[in-house]
Amino acid sequence: MSKIKHLYWRAGFGLSPQEWEKRKNWPVTKAVDQLFKEAKAAGPLQALHVSSVTSKPTKEQRKMERKYVGRQNTAWLMRMANPNESAFMERMSLFWHGHFACSSKLSKLAFNQINAIREHALGNFRDLVLAVAKDPSMIRYLNNQQNKKNKPNENFARELMELFTIGRGHYTEQDIKEAARAFTGWSSNLSGSFVFRRRQHDFGVKTFMGRTGKFDGDEIIDIILEQRATAQFICTKIYRYFVNEKVDTKIVNQLADQLYKSDYNIEALMRNIFTSDWFYDKKNIGIKIKSPVDLLAGMSRGLNVQYDNEQALIFAQKALGQVLFNPPNVAGWAEGKAWIDNSTMMLRLNLITYLLYASDIDFRTKSDLKASSRNKAMRKLEARVNLAPLQQILSTNDQERTIEELSDFLLQRDPAVDKKLIQQYAQSGTGQDFMKMAIARITSLPEYQLC
Amino acid sequence: MKRRNFIKSSALASTALWIPSFLKGNTTSPLLKTRSGKILIIVQLGGGNDGLNTVVPYRNDLYYKYRPSLGIKQNDVLKVSDQLGFNPEMQALQSLYDQGLLSVVNNVGYPNPDRSHFRSMDIWHTASDSTEYLSTGWLGRYLDNDCKGCITPHHALEVDDSLSLAMKGTNNSGFAMGDAKRLRKATDSKFLKAVAQHEHDHDHENVEYLYKTMIDTQHSAEYLYQQSKVYQSKVKYPNTPFGKDLKQISELITADTDTKVYYTSLTGFDTHANQKGKQGRLLKQYAEGMKALVEDLKRNNLLNDTLIMTFSEFGRRVKQNGSGGTDHGTANNLFLIGGNLNKAGFYNNGPDLQKLDNGDLIYQVDFRNVYATILENWLEADAPAVLGKNFTKLNIL
Repeated sequence: MSKIKHLYWRAGFGLSPQEWEKRKNWPVTKAVDQLFKEAKAAGPLQALHVSSVTSKPTKEQRKMERKYVGRQNTAWLMRMANPNESAFMERMSLFWHGHFACSSKLSKLAFNQINAIREHALGNFRDLVLAVAKDPSMIRYLNNQQNKKNKPNENFARELMELFTIGRGHYTEQDIKEAARAFTGWSSNLSGSFVFRRRQHDFGVKTFMGRTGKFDGDEIIDIILEQRATAQFICTKIYRYFVNEKVDTKIVNQLADQLYKSDYNIEALMRNIFTSDWFYDKKNIGIKIKSPVDLLAGMSRGLNVQYDNEQALIFAQKALGQVLFNPPNVAGWAEGKAWIDNSTMMLRLNLITYLLYASDIDFRTKSDLKASSRNKAMRKLEARVNLAPLQQILSTNDQERTIEELSDFLLQRDPAVDKKLIQQYAQSGTGQDFMKMAIARITSLPEYQLC
Repeated sequence: MKRRNFIKSSALASTALWIPSFLKGNTTSPLLKTRSGKILIIVQLGGGNDGLNTVVPYRNDLYYKYRPSLGIKQNDVLKVSDQLGFNPEMQALQSLYDQGLLSVVNNVGYPNPDRSHFRSMDIWHTASDSTEYLSTGWLGRYLDNDCKGCITPHHALEVDDSLSLAMKGTNNSGFAMGDAKRLRKATDSKFLKAVAQHEHDHDHENVEYLYKTMIDTQHSAEYLYQQSKVYQSKVKYPNTPFGKDLKQISELITADTDTKVYYTSLTGFDTHANQKGKQGRLLKQYAEGMKALVEDLKRNNLLNDTLIMTFSEFGRRVKQNGSGGTDHGTANNLFLIGGNLNKAGFYNNGPDLQKLDNGDLIYQVDFRNVYATILENWLEADAPAVLGKNFTKLNIL
């Protein structure tokens, strides 16, 4: 299997046919350089769907905000799918979006948060944590508004340690209490900006992780990052996400050493991963179950899918179990096999066939708990697949060869079934009909769910 | 008529003959496990049902003080004890109560209650503490723990197109089927069936898991479709999607389907404004659905083998709000329906309206005590293994 494809799937969302054609023979180092170059040049998400509502929305405004956040969602997803954008920046932002999981109901706050994350996505982890700690959306999500002197709310302090930095087992309940005191007064104002409320802040002496001083939030973060366990926790998570769910302890230890010694330089860490030989070991290729967003972004990029109605993308995210800007809770999305059950599996297997043949889906997503009735069933995905670019890179009309080349482009591992079977079941048409049917068959194989 | 007799005499007595054909061939599908015969049905009331206007403390002055216009008038309450009565729209449920087929557990909740619908529902689904985030559900873990690969994929069946968190385990999950015909259509691909029949030798567990899920889904979809045709109920269910789901469940149970747990939900209980009419219509639908289901099961002599548990993610605040509704609250009542209850009627006293926590009811029974009881006494499972710790069982089953 191609190293380039592996790199592009893990650092991005696969390749478009033209990217594949152009880059498939590149050496890994060249491709990695290009990915980092593009990522650094990538700008923030565009403020296309942001309102001025930053607090206490009316019922009507709430409805509009849902719509705006939904548009941001699809705009971001389409950016992941766009070969002219930096896929690596989108991949890193998505990773951190799931790590600093937060659901934002107000478009402006959601937008500001994701752009703050993007700004530091390849920068320094300390800056990233600090940006998140001062992010109004996160402050509200984890009740730091209510964290006041003599009346602390521990929610943010707890999740900061348990989920965002060091992980369970490296702090005490007392550490949480002391850290919460240090973050008192870290609040957000009505216009949705960070504000430090002096009168709510506890300026007293705290004892945290064995150290004593008049710590504020910044210093608490510093102390947490001084613990090597933090580098270990972050590297373990990054390894599981970008490389393999099964952790190779030796490698993760090396990565953690590096991250710690580099004072938490994320870019250097990611560059090390993508240029290491072990990253391209056979055991790491084609074994990760695509998340719903991976699947949707990847298929849109690979098959040039244009959505006439963005609801199709929202529907698919809901039905498959991952909606951008709406993680299930502060722990983020459970990855891997957790994506798969009988319902999501059949949708995944049929998805591209539904798109290619505009066939009837007839699937009802779960209604929001606030809804007064059940959702209507989705009938058709209003989208168009443009197969011309893919057809252009095929070298021949020969059916057997076409199956080979399409499988090579679409799959990250050899299918368990004989390719003759695919050919046999794609044979109802000729020319583009054959190609279309072949794509439907190949993408309905379980192997298409892996990257 | 006994279920087995019914199957034998049915013109479509195909299940017994049919099952082997779905098991033959090179499939990874596990062998059918003989079940004890006990069936659990979970009914989820989504949105946070107002328990105080469902089971009304009609003798309590505080109730009327907190709810001057929303409170249900004494004369309208369907009184069943000297303290408590049902919402006037729940005559059908009252009849189950009168027959000793209903047990009401009052003041059910959990410590440090969360007032977000989504989060609180997750807590109920995962049986976690409110400071803990789990990605598997209690029924999913029941499948993981109890069965260790010896179950069918549809051992726990949710009547919906997608699967709830409650039903998701690490290695085993429940099965989602909104409608037998539609599911069959979605799985009816000649190509994928051919793929499934190929010899497979997978070198990675994720690949194997994907293939197994696909193949199991094909088999279960076909099996459930056949099962759905075995018995057509003559009982009149509410003419709503929820009523249709209950009917489907009853038909599958009567057809002796190899499913032990069923899951269904009714939504719309988030009544912040103009609650009375909205909640009344929903409760009526719920109560009539339960009555029909019980009647159906009784006709087929299955009621003693069935337990129905009804819950909602939270109750509502004691005080009515300014819009003729109620806001998100905490503790709530929970219903158990079946022919085999230890304590029909009220398991415990109604809520204490004198002792509130900042305007909210204080829970007395942790919902995980109910789960533990159902897991051990009904499903014969190892409750501490499923719930992660020991919860005392209640004398309800």
